[in-house]
Amino acid sequence: MSTLTVEGLGLRYGGVRAVHDVAFSVAAGEAVGIIGANGAGKTSTLKAIMGLAPRTAAVLRYGERDLNRTPAHQVVRAGIGYVPEGRHVFPGLSVENNLLLGAYTRSWRRISFDQVYGLFPVLAEMRHRLAGALSGGQQQMLAIGRALMSQPRLILLDEPSMGLSPKLVEDILAVLKRLNEDGTAILLVEQNAKLTFEVTTRSLVMENGEIAMTGTSQALRGDPKVRRIYLGL
Amino acid sequence: MKRLLPLGLGLGIAAWLLPYGLDGYAMHVVDVAVVFALLGIGLGLVMGVAGQVNLAQVAFFGIGAYTCAILTTRAGLGFWVAAALALLAAVLIGLIVSIPALRVQSHYLGIVTLGLALAFLNWVTNAGVAGKSEGISDLPVPPMFGIDLSSDYLFYYVEIIVFAIALAFALFVVRAPLGRRLRAMRDDSLAAAALGAEIPLLRITAFVLSGLYGGVAGVLYAGLIRYVAPETFSIANMFLLLAMVIIGGRQSIVGCVLGAVVLSLIREVLVDFSVYAQLGYGTVVVLMVVFAPTGLAGLPALWLRRFRASQGRAELHSFVPYGEARAPEPGRVALEIREVSKRFKGLLALDRVSMTVTDGEIRGVVGPNGSGKTTLFNIVSGFYACEVGRVLLSGEDVTGFRPYRLSQAGVARTFQNLRLFGDLTVRENILVALDRTRTAWIWRYLVRPLAVVRQSRDLGRQADELLERFGLAEFAAAQPRALPYGIQRRVEIARAMAMGPRLLLLDEPAAGLNGEEVRRLAEIVRALRDSGVTVVIIEHNMGLVMSLCDRVTVLSSGRVIADGPPREVAAVPEVIEAYLGESTYLSLPGDVSQEAGR
Amino acid sequence: MQVFLQTLVGGIGFGAVYALVAMGFSIVYRTMGLVNFAHGSVVMIGAYTASTFSMAGRLPFPLAIAVAIVVTGLVGLIIERVLRPLEGRDFDLMLIGTIGFGTVLEALAILIWGATGHAVPSPVAAAPVDILGIRIRTYSLVVIVVAAAATVLLALFLQRTKRGVAMQAAAMDPQAATAVGIHVGRSNAIAFAIGAGLAALAGGLIGPMLYVSPTMGGSLGIKGFAAAIIGGFGNIPGAILGGLAFGILDSFAAGTFQGYSELVVFVVFAVAIMIRPTGIFGERTVNRA
Repeated sequence: MSTLTVEGLGLRYGGVRAVHDVAFSVAAGEAVGIIGANGAGKTSTLKAIMGLAPRTAAVLRYGERDLNRTPAHQVVRAGIGYVPEGRHVFPGLSVENNLLLGAYTRSWRRISFDQVYGLFPVLAEMRHRLAGALSGGQQQMLAIGRALMSQPRLILLDEPSMGLSPKLVEDILAVLKRLNEDGTAILLVEQNAKLTFEVTTRSLVMENGEIAMTGTSQALRGDPKVRRIYLGL
Repeated sequence: MKRLLPLGLGLGIAAWLLPYGLDGYAMHVVDVAVVFALLGIGLGLVMGVAGQVNLAQVAFFGIGAYTCAILTTRAGLGFWVAAALALLAAVLIGLIVSIPALRVQSHYLGIVTLGLALAFLNWVTNAGVAGKSEGISDLPVPPMFGIDLSSDYLFYYVEIIVFAIALAFALFVVRAPLGRRLRAMRDDSLAAAALGAEIPLLRITAFVLSGLYGGVAGVLYAGLIRYVAPETFSIANMFLLLAMVIIGGRQSIVGCVLGAVVLSLIREVLVDFSVYAQLGYGTVVVLMVVFAPTGLAGLPALWLRRFRASQGRAELHSFVPYGEARAPEPGRVALEIREVSKRFKGLLALDRVSMTVTDGEIRGVVGPNGSGKTTLFNIVSGFYACEVGRVLLSGEDVTGFRPYRLSQAGVARTFQNLRLFGDLTVRENILVALDRTRTAWIWRYLVRPLAVVRQSRDLGRQADELLERFGLAEFAAAQPRALPYGIQRRVEIARAMAMGPRLLLLDEPAAGLNGEEVRRLAEIVRALRDSGVTVVIIEHNMGLVMSLCDRVTVLSSGRVIADGPPREVAAVPEVIEAYLGESTYLSLPGDVSQEAGR
Repeated sequence: MQVFLQTLVGGIGFGAVYALVAMGFSIVYRTMGLVNFAHGSVVMIGAYTASTFSMAGRLPFPLAIAVAIVVTGLVGLIIERVLRPLEGRDFDLMLIGTIGFGTVLEALAILIWGATGHAVPSPVAAAPVDILGIRIRTYSLVVIVVAAAATVLLALFLQRTKRGVAMQAAAMDPQAATAVGIHVGRSNAIAFAIGAGLAALAGGLIGPMLYVSPTMGGSLGIKGFAAAIIGGFGNIPGAILGGLAFGILDSFAAGTFQGYSELVVFVVFAVAIMIRPTGIFGERTVNRA
């Protein structure tokens, strides 16, 4: 069973310090949330873990794998799936090709879409459609489906609720809960604190690139300090 | 500048004495090299300084030479009359070639200009009047008060005088406000437009200048060789010319001259091994773009920077508030946005947004990602066309104004991801913004250069004052990208203030700043407001917004969901919902009852 | 009518070659955002290699083209490797770098094959065929068929193979592609090699239609590039359409304006690009600001 361990994680864009000295861990099968206002460094944290931005870290490992020494395109092979902010599906490719690319690290000969189509039946209907022609909600489902195709043991999600209607958010929420119940660990980055607390057991609140507070989602839910951090009161 | 005078004088004397040490053949080679040096200046101006990929320089050269040849041999005009008309023709062609540059840039412009160069070549090889592929021979010797210019020695003196004037003018233009604007446009045309640069006019100017230099080179070539043929103006020679400019250093006029002279001499030495020469300069160009993109002329600066880096660090000083304050007229409206909507490919980014900012106010604009804040700024500063709704500045309708006109009307802005001119110094960045003259003013460069010098000196004094005020004096000579982020942010605000605006739009000015820097930023913004500037600020740092802004407008999904004093806005349920997901979810102690009641 | 149709078919023959050149441009631009001004010279190297191996090396024509594709593929890999440090940093510098490469390739061609160039005999000796009363050069038909086949193969590769789909993904969204495990750098290098291979195919095919010389790359490359722009840069169907449009325009201009055809073609192109900078299918913004 693998644990994601992060210690002393930092990230800079040019001269801007986006993330500074962040430390946390996600145990196997656990669901952890990172919340905070815009520009708090949540997205950068995920990118740093995925190796998609130049980062520094004292410890960055997943199970036996030292992610500090893993090139970005190998991170998925360690068993980590990634759903980027703003979905980032491949717009000019069909839904099915998008999903196949999710399974890029596996053989395409005996690939099954059953799990993804089971979770998101609408994708099965649209499988020959170009991803760019889907609605925002469908694209979000596709992005999650794509990440699932690599059969990850840990999945990182970046703002899956962004720009979706409340109904769709509920759907996505249900799927995340189901995945977690089936044993997939989840690291959920969200601005939407409510959604995050419903899915996760533990959460971190980020502010100005640092972790401002941590606690069980249960405890944070009633804590007025969270709202103060968000609204700068 | 004073130190350079003896150097220039020395070089001038050396150039004057040069013929005494050369044999006839060497003299001819030097004469040709001077022609290429002129071409190099022209290409350096348009490509290195103004950043316009112009692969038609060789055609400007050809127009000059051919017009001269055709008018003297076919129309029987005197050489100098023909030469004057040839210059006019080259400038005109420069003007025509600049038209595509108004629509396309970069590689598109490269291919269009290359195509036009080929079209010119195609015309001269086919037109009877241009002598087809044989070209035109037997051009008359240019008359010159009885001096025999058929001698390569004597013609050299004509060339060197013309060259000296041309070089001086080019150096003057590059250092003067016009050159600074051209370089600003090269580094970032959007930011230059926001500072009041009329981009289309500047691009035309660049091409006209390169046409002028091409024409001068063509005329001299016609007078020197007295024979024109298509192969001189081939694409291969265009690429050779390009190699000269790249190897010499495209951003430096002196570098371009150096590259042109060195390469033409080497080409002459290797005339029997021309293929190897071609192989050589091709390779050098590739190596140059990868390892030394600023060319030979840039090498000293590269070394110097390494040397300087080891020296003591400059210090950022504190901001000195403006002394005299313009009292705001209470109630007067500085900016009014009426029912503005903006659609991108079916996505409604702004949905009937209205907002009124009074004179002397600090207004915050906040909202979740993608709520349309920057889109709103882009409309107010003229970067996006506004299809629906109106924008009024102090009551005047400025809807649909181009960025440079809004800049002239007193709107200044900064950008979310800093758009400083990377290759200009901090002081030059400020100077670009200080220069409030219209581009049409540039006729003075030809007619009244002294007025330009005076204006230039005035601007310099103002720039120093401003740098002092913003505590940036010690960074005046630094290039922005070498500075820490916090200082770059301050430079950008100083640059915006250099325009003397009435309305200042700040797009996430605190992004990436540490606590102390944010505190100083707040001080500066307050001081700017006290000096009479109305400020609208987009910011994610809610602490700053709460403490700094008089009023806050909250956008969500392109709509205004709240508008009012910070404290009140923070209590509006829709706002909390937009930020946190649900309004009642995370309640403050005071309203626990609400939650219990559900 | 007779003349019109003959000109049209001839134009389509040339257009097919331009389309191949344009597709090479597009595939490289799409993946790397690099405009390869050396592409024309790569076409020239392809033409020389193919004709040398078929004439002096006595290889069958298709095999000679295959050799040329491998050779230029390697050339493409070298160009990509050398200019990689500039990728995504300075667009204009990359452009100038590829011009430098073009110069180098041209000089190499002169060193290897001499400055004069040579004519290439048509590999199909058959007499012109009559279709509905129009006499068409057999070789033109061969070129059209081969170019069409290459296009279909390329499309199949991009749509149906794992490598091809991954290459498209890497072009559309490098970060997301990296996150699913694609090595974007390698994918780009392969795209560059394929682009160069297409150039070799175009060069090999056009050899018998033109005179093979070290300078042939110049105007061919510019026309192919212009075709790619007219079609909407980075767009494969656009490249085909742009190529055909250019071939047809070219052959009608040659018929109507004689020697001035190039002048007319480039002026038409310049005007077209000013009216619609993004080409026929293009949606990308022109000014990468």
